[in-house]
Amino acid sequence: MAEVQIRDARKSYGAVEVLRGVDVEVRDGEFVALVGPSGCGKSTLLRMIAGLEGISGGEIRIGARVVNDIPPKQRDVAMVFQNYALYPHMTVAKNMGFSLKLAGKPKDEIDRRVAAAAEILDLSTLLDRLPRQLSGGQRQRVAMGRAIVRNPRVFLFDEPLSNLDAKLRVQMRAEIKALHQRLGTTTVYVTHDQVEAMTMADKIVVMRAGVVEQVGSPLDLYDHPANMFVAGFIGSPAMNFIEGHIEKGRFISGCGLSVATGPTADTARAVLGIRPEHLTLDPAGTAATVVVVEQTGSETLLLLDMAGQKLTYLGRDRLPIRPGETVHILPDATRLHLFDPQSGHRLGDRPGTA
Amino acid sequence: MSRRTHSALPVHITLAIGAALVLVPIIWTVAAGFRTQISLLMGDVLFTPIGSNFAEVLWSKTSDFLLNYRNSIIVGIASTLLCVVVATLAAFSLNRMRWPAWTVHLFLAWTMIFHMIPPVALASAWFTMARAVGLENTFTGLILAHATLNLPMAIWLMAVFVRDVPKELEEAAIMDGADTPHILWHVILPLITPGLAATSILTFIFSWNEFAVALTLTMKQTATVPVAIAKFAQDFEIQYTQMAASAALAMVPAILVLLVAQRYIVKGLTQGAVK
Repeated sequence: MAEVQIRDARKSYGAVEVLRGVDVEVRDGEFVALVGPSGCGKSTLLRMIAGLEGISGGEIRIGARVVNDIPPKQRDVAMVFQNYALYPHMTVAKNMGFSLKLAGKPKDEIDRRVAAAAEILDLSTLLDRLPRQLSGGQRQRVAMGRAIVRNPRVFLFDEPLSNLDAKLRVQMRAEIKALHQRLGTTTVYVTHDQVEAMTMADKIVVMRAGVVEQVGSPLDLYDHPANMFVAGFIGSPAMNFIEGHIEKGRFISGCGLSVATGPTADTARAVLGIRPEHLTLDPAGTAATVVVVEQTGSETLLLLDMAGQKLTYLGRDRLPIRPGETVHILPDATRLHLFDPQSGHRLGDRPGTA
Repeated sequence: MSRRTHSALPVHITLAIGAALVLVPIIWTVAAGFRTQISLLMGDVLFTPIGSNFAEVLWSKTSDFLLNYRNSIIVGIASTLLCVVVATLAAFSLNRMRWPAWTVHLFLAWTMIFHMIPPVALASAWFTMARAVGLENTFTGLILAHATLNLPMAIWLMAVFVRDVPKELEEAAIMDGADTPHILWHVILPLITPGLAATSILTFIFSWNEFAVALTLTMKQTATVPVAIAKFAQDFEIQYTQMAASAALAMVPAILVLLVAQRYIVKGLTQGAVK
């Protein structure tokens, strides 16, 4: 096991800069998720840690060693690919034991370690099958087995669950999490799914366009997003953003919403961020028209129109509300986020939670 | 009567015509091998089959056909081996060694142009070259020539097969600690076996049938089957029936190779690799 330190990592393909100076610190045994929209460079960064991509600038350390010029096989990291990349002509056992065979380990040791990994992943009865005879979830587990059998210092996952159906994805999410708790191996996990990142990671690195936007624990990012991008990316359904201005400790918007912000400097323009789950239905609130009602059984989602401003409301109660009706919305004043509309940065130091 | 039977009839007729176009010349040739020269030249429809043409071709003291047959097999197998080994390595290199794009395109374009040159145009030049280095009238010379002639096609075919192996498999092997030779041997080769078989068959058959270069580079002891068949057409007499008999015999290896190797040409071997 080892920590991974990434200092000012850069990657360019010709004139195109994919990573523009990224710093990430992964502590020993930590589970870190790299999230961001497509093309933000998260997969490139992972492949640079793996050694599949060269490093154009900066430094990547695994343990005490700078690995910039060290080939993948000497980095002692294992990677699980998005499409599993199982060798189709090898049985499950051979797939899992291939790295050990290449390392010249004796056959009985390979068998023992493959059996042990298969035990952990519940693959013991499938060892003689070929990949094409397995289901998607089983293939996924073989891909993980191939990684853990080597007992590497770092696990790298590249969107490993994106090919699975929704139900299986939730199940495998828990399995990967449990595996990490059991083995305690340092893990870097790339995903574009913020729910995956929130549920699995000890620490999340939010990336956009080749730079790190924010690093923090899942709840930290949820409660204190550093900017509008992170605020909008983390949390589902996404945070509501309302434009307005701050005057004498109140945020006032054109749609009629007015909330106390506490001691905040007056600004001519500001953006209020409020999560759908932090809106309440209260007769004292601002009127809004219901556009769409989505009932999931456990929750109710309302898409609202507040004088032209689109808002999303999420509540735990079942509401007998139909589209076209009017509701009154009151934001939870202790969970407001204020942003500068120009830079997108968080305004002041005022945390989102009281 | 169902719709299905209706629409099947034209298809069957088309297929029958196609099959006839392919088979009739072959059947005619084989049949000619069983006729007397007179019966053939008279154009008789019905004839009494005789075996003397085959016997003459195979066992007559004046015939070298068995030697030619052996020569063709030696040249065919050796040039095929040489050709597919080089082609596979070249295809792997072109696809995976991160050459600049123009290098790959230039190389593939050149191989294609080379493939379009008629072998006859090369034959005399190669004869001069072979004689200069003492390779005329040797198997080595003809093997090198046939491998060279077939390389463009083999490289194009193998490049497609290698390209179709998912890149992630190679990357997974790299992460598993494999070097390039390991990747080629343990990952790429097992997956392109069907393609390798198909390419080998085609290369072997082309070498087996090649005439112009073989005629130029060989003499009596090293002549291959097509050269031998042509020898039946002499200045004052064309021995049609013996020619037909040897042509019929010449088809045997191609048919055998196809029958044996057909089972290797199966699709879906890479299924289950990714996704």
